[in-house]
Amino acid sequence: MKIIKSKGPEIFDIELEKALLAKNRSLAKANKKRFDRSKILAIDIMGSIGSGKTTLIKAILKKLGIGKKVAVIAGDLTTSIDAERIEVEGAHVVQVNTGKECHLDANLIHQAIDRLKLDGVKLLFIENVGNLICPGEFPLGAHKRLVVTSVTEGPYMIVKHPYIFREADVIVLNKIDLAKAMKVNPSQLQKDAKKINPNAPFIRINALSGIGIPKVINALGLKT
Amino acid sequence: MHEFSISSEIVRTVLDTVEKNNGKKVLSIQLEIGELTLFNIEQVTFLIHELFKGSVAEDAEVKIKTIKARIHCKACGYKGGIRSEREDPFKHFALQTCPQCNSFQNKVEKGRECILKRIQVVR
Ligand SMILES: Nc1nc2c(ncn2[C@@H]2O[C@H](COP(=O)(O)OP(=O)(O)O)[C@@H](O)[C@H]2O)c(=O)[nH]1
Ligand SMILES: [Mg+2]
Ligand SMILES: [Zn+2]
Repeated sequence: MKIIKSKGPEIFDIELEKALLAKNRSLAKANKKRFDRSKILAIDIMGSIGSGKTTLIKAILKKLGIGKKVAVIAGDLTTSIDAERIEVEGAHVVQVNTGKECHLDANLIHQAIDRLKLDGVKLLFIENVGNLICPGEFPLGAHKRLVVTSVTEGPYMIVKHPYIFREADVIVLNKIDLAKAMKVNPSQLQKDAKKINPNAPFIRINALSGIGIPKVINALGLKT
Repeated sequence: MHEFSISSEIVRTVLDTVEKNNGKKVLSIQLEIGELTLFNIEQVTFLIHELFKGSVAEDAEVKIKTIKARIHCKACGYKGGIRSEREDPFKHFALQTCPQCNSFQNKVEKGRECILKRIQVVR
């Protein structure tokens, strides 16, 4: 910081050059280092409200069956409903309420880690706040980012919100059981996703019945 | 979209800095915001003024300069600016395509920043 005398007698310019968004990125890096030190694999689950993030986490936990070795940070504007739904599966859950913010940020995750008992934990899921725009701009320090979209969101979800899909390591299309009823063609959504992000696996699932869950587990590099 | 969090951070940083430097009154603040951030500049300006109310920065002028984007295309090697919103429908979502080959696979070298450059104060 530099202070320079300006025009008038008591007027000063304080040169700051402070990068504001960079703060979240450096905090995210610190979170990642912390996960690495504790040998924890952290996965950020993003997607719209109701796309099936909580149901997917529950389905993965059920399939993996490793209870207390998994921790979940459940982001939500104000409630703890999802945290309670996930706790049933035996994982250690910490609830983070963002209040009026529309996304989790690296600082909230940093605080949540302090509240988590990470002893023996090998895997951490972070359920992001339901939103397809902001979380893309705010990395949390997770090793992998998965975005869940569902056929009930209509046929244009991916072309309308390409940004978050490009940021994702794995793209999941949920509720394929409802595709016909919704008049949505999963192959078209897959094409849209591949155009924006050719490297991310695109997996069709039914999180309620468990169809496709082994593929998701595989794509995330998790062992059953 | 996250105008509220960024505006709060700007206001907090300004008021902290001014207090530490014994400023009596803030005349202006100067920001640089990349054209690829998803911020609505008018909304940021409005929120900053709102959050400044009742403080030493109440009457401060908020100057915002937009930083033009610069990308590096991984598909064809293009380096440079991007198309306008009318020519590139995706730019709106910070998902610019290459003006040369239309690929989505590019690295953003400039245009994502949000910088608080300087604060002008009376001491
Ligand atoms: N039919 C159907 N419903 C699903 C599926 N996955 C989730 N749901 C339902 O969708 C609703 C929202 O799911 P939830 O996991 O809470 O979404 P979140 O807001 O993204 O966490 C719930 O009623 C789920 O039971 C699916 O594959 N098929
Ligand atoms: Mg949920
Ligand atoms: Zn190109």
